[in-house]
Amino acid sequence: MIEVKSLAKTYGKKQNVFTALDDVSFTIPDGASVAIVGKSGSGKSTLMHAMSGLDRPQTGEVIIDGEDILQLKAKEVDRFRATKMSFIFQSFFVQANETCYDNVSLPLEIAGVPKKERRAKVQKALEAVELADKIKSKARNLSGGQKQRLAIARAIVNEPTILFADEPTGNLDSSTGEIIEDLLFDYNKKNGTTLIVVTHDPDLAKKCDMQLFIKDGKIALATEHHEKRPTVKKIPVGGRRVQA
Amino acid sequence: MKRRDIIRRAGRSLRQAKARTLLTSLAIAVGAFTLTLSIAAGEGSRQYADKLVGSNVNPRALFIVKDNALFDGGPGQSGLREYDPDVATNQGGVALKQLTQADIDKLTARDDIEDVQPIYQLTIDYLTIEGSDKKFVSEVARYDSSIRNESAAGDLPPLGTDLDTQDVVMPESFAEALVKAGVATSVQDVLGKKVTLTVAKPASQPTDEQLQQALASGSAAALQRLTRGETKEVTFTVSAITKQSSTALMAGTAMQLSSEQAKSIADYTTQGTSQYQKYTSATALAKEGKEPEAVKQALSDAGYPAQTAKDLQNLLFTIVNILQGIVAGFGVLALFASVFGIINTQYISVLERTQQIGLMKALGMRSRDVAKLFRYEAAWIGFLGGAIGAGLAWAIGTLLNPWVTEQLSLGEGNAILVFQPLPIAALILALVVIAVVAGFFPARKAAKLDPIEALRTE
Ligand SMILES: Nc1ncnc2c1ncn2[C@@H]1O[C@H](COP(=O)(O)OP(=O)(O)OP(=O)(O)O)[C@@H](O)[C@H]1O
Ligand SMILES: [Mg+2]
Repeated sequence: MIEVKSLAKTYGKKQNVFTALDDVSFTIPDGASVAIVGKSGSGKSTLMHAMSGLDRPQTGEVIIDGEDILQLKAKEVDRFRATKMSFIFQSFFVQANETCYDNVSLPLEIAGVPKKERRAKVQKALEAVELADKIKSKARNLSGGQKQRLAIARAIVNEPTILFADEPTGNLDSSTGEIIEDLLFDYNKKNGTTLIVVTHDPDLAKKCDMQLFIKDGKIALATEHHEKRPTVKKIPVGGRRVQA
Repeated sequence: MKRRDIIRRAGRSLRQAKARTLLTSLAIAVGAFTLTLSIAAGEGSRQYADKLVGSNVNPRALFIVKDNALFDGGPGQSGLREYDPDVATNQGGVALKQLTQADIDKLTARDDIEDVQPIYQLTIDYLTIEGSDKKFVSEVARYDSSIRNESAAGDLPPLGTDLDTQDVVMPESFAEALVKAGVATSVQDVLGKKVTLTVAKPASQPTDEQLQQALASGSAAALQRLTRGETKEVTFTVSAITKQSSTALMAGTAMQLSSEQAKSIADYTTQGTSQYQKYTSATALAKEGKEPEAVKQALSDAGYPAQTAKDLQNLLFTIVNILQGIVAGFGVLALFASVFGIINTQYISVLERTQQIGLMKALGMRSRDVAKLFRYEAAWIGFLGGAIGAGLAWAIGTLLNPWVTEQLSLGEGNAILVFQPLPIAALILALVVIAVVAGFFPARKAAKLDPIEALRTE
């Protein structure tokens, strides 16, 4: 369970103070999929960074599994991110010069997973995103959709409990975007991983269990949306090839 | 993150920027090359000097004088001073205290040294070889039984034993000169031949009576002999011919005879002069079991400044060290320049990889590990540069060694560049450390990057 309590984040000083997050509070149950929706500049990314401990807001608490990560030392926050969290970014951030294997292996190395165990985990993660045959290819040779799938493999290889995705489909065409969305939701449902998606796409937001609407750094509306997703779109992981 | 994984990733990022990595390390390689050569040359010269001293000087040998100025290289006493019969004054008006026979006797009586031998000033008029009336001149010296001499022909006495009084030993070059002069048919032929040395007493003022007698005899030769001083002939047999060794310091240039004969000739040629039984220096051996350094101190305290074989070696080493220091200086200068190369390269690398650093930090990589990653990259550059420089120096040095040895006529088996793995490994290690130090600031910059800022840069 993630509890966010009266989180506030301001940028700048004195006359130039800008409030990016203003007294934000909400609770996310374990295994839920959450959409953070809002206009550009409304503070979605800022909220995500605060929740993951990348950023330090001025006030408030982010309690994950009973621990306020904003009170932890840098070392412990790093450990938290390395073992329990994962990120998927709008612009992929895969290392173009490295092979798919090395890209996916990075979080494992950071978490200190021994080399012997890494191989199988990387293989499994790449299989989950249908990129097993590209294991030795350089990431720069992948298509946009393949790059984002590689980013997903990198995000799930460590079996995180929370997966953050900042506009994961923003840079992709709609059909490729859907494949990525399905991969994420599928992973969320299968593994009970909490999925937090930042988006301004209402359709993507609708697929989530819960929506947080942000406006000017405030929570404008929080809804729980339990509409069952159409099963036709669900892709069995590891089964049919994904076209991206 | 595990150290091994950091090192591996560091190596990989360098490989992805091959040209830049190589160019940066080449700057270090220049320094490493120079330093390796300087180390090798120092080691080679030291080994050569060691060999030189070791094969020429008994480690127990002591060189004893009366006047410390001989060692200090100072001018001795100059200016107006009281006359002292034991002080020799040379042309420059520089005075040196000399050892007298009494000093030699005192030294001989000591129980910490043995085999005390004054260094005789041996001068001959000329020498002749059996079977020819050609006259030759050469240097004459006492045979040094403390040096291992190699014989080209004939038998040398065992180490520590003096020559027989009727024997002389000559260097191979003398024998070859005699063959050239047609006196002998071969070097082997010189062996066993009789050599006659003609030595002259210093001329003394002839008395009126002697002059009249000489005039009365009517012979010009008698008159000449009178003004030239009396001469004496001593005959020896060539008992051995010494080999010309590339590491021999002194053996090469003198006809050598026993100390007894040396003394008798020296006494004869200085009789009646102020130089009679006066010696600027003497040699001795520290008794077995006595530390030469301690004996030297005891002698100095007794008023006889002395130097040990080690002092001689140190003198040679000092020269080598100075030369080595100059070469090493250039290497250090090159390294100094390369440090800025590393700093520059690593800064650019950090800027280029801002996004990668941000990602790694977002994935939970600790700032410490990020700094390590960049420090290891610097270390790799240092290692690469060191290995390239040292490797090149080693290869080129090994190829050039035979040629250098020939040019300097150092003799077979001697090399001026001696490459030893350990100092070179130490050098490479030092370069790695220097590179890491140079990479410190760029690494810190990387560690301090804010991941959010870093991820925002496209
Ligand atoms: N370092 C900063 N200094 C000053 N203002 C900042 C800083 N970072 C973010 N902001 C401001 O905070 C607000 C929220 O930014 P944020 O990146 O969270 O927006 P967003 O909702 O993610 O927008 P987008 O959909 O365009 O990504 C913006 O107005 C932005 O200008
Ligand atoms: Mg954003």
